[in-house]
Amino acid sequence: QRIRSQNIVPCTVSQLLAAEQVDETFRIRDVEISQVTIIGIIRHAEKAPTNILYKVDDMTAAPMDVRQWVDTDEAGGENVVVLPGTYVKVAGHLRSFQNKKSLVAFKIMPLENMNEFTTHILEIVNAHMILRKNLMSASRAPQSFSAGIGDVGGYGGGGSLPVNGLTAHQSQVLNLIKNCPVPEGMSLQELKLQLHHMSMSTIKQAVEFLSSEGHIYSTVDDDHYKSTDAE
Amino acid sequence: IHPTGKLFVLSDGEGKHATVELSEPLDEEISGVLEVVGRVTNQATIMCMSYVQFREDKSPFDLELYNEALKIIHEFPEYFPFG
Repeated sequence: QRIRSQNIVPCTVSQLLAAEQVDETFRIRDVEISQVTIIGIIRHAEKAPTNILYKVDDMTAAPMDVRQWVDTDEAGGENVVVLPGTYVKVAGHLRSFQNKKSLVAFKIMPLENMNEFTTHILEIVNAHMILRKNLMSASRAPQSFSAGIGDVGGYGGGGSLPVNGLTAHQSQVLNLIKNCPVPEGMSLQELKLQLHHMSMSTIKQAVEFLSSEGHIYSTVDDDHYKSTDAE
Repeated sequence: IHPTGKLFVLSDGEGKHATVELSEPLDEEISGVLEVVGRVTNQATIMCMSYVQFREDKSPFDLELYNEALKIIHEFPEYFPFG
């Protein structure tokens, strides 16, 4: 099943250029991406009647083409060109045309606080690492459940960016509990054995959250849980 | 900044100094945090190709934090590739 990224993923230009395209989707090392953010410096700006074409450089690769469509009916505001030499954060969609990648921006914001730049580069490493980890553990989790469980598609998305209201850790814990066939449910110890990359306190926090949201309930004691959605 | 305006010294997030050389003397006053793009020479200086001054009018830039972030991104080239 597809792990769909419904989040906006921070990336480097080098990652975007390396992304592989299969039909309509792009993947960076198997992680599906569509909406992305990049931070870089404007090297060039060209204004046309309907759009502004920027070249944004984040120093990981050659400057990337970023196109911003201009609303010709709207005066002022949206039509202001950002000057070359300015650091900006671009949020947009990745596109590929005749094998050339570019971004169609829905937001271009000059950076007012350069510490955002530091945050962005850390977020890139973090997001891609977590997205990849989710993919890896998704393929390891038991796939023995029937085809009717549509909401397990909520597995995708970044770790700290909740998808379907659940973070990656919570999703992983919930899925293991759902797949547990034993009547008394999944124990915390069993969860820890299966999720060796998560600490016990992280697992406990996830269990507490899932329990308070009604996804799971305790059975024989506070260490054993079953899913309310179980088959 | 050297009097000729063709050389200046930068201090990085760890307090280490780097000498930056320019092909043309500076034509403006520079201060604060700079990002220099250039090539390393055999004398371990940087031949500057371009530079940009970081905005610090609204908030100061945390250079030490940036330095730590750099170490992290170099540790994970698979998640932060360089061209």
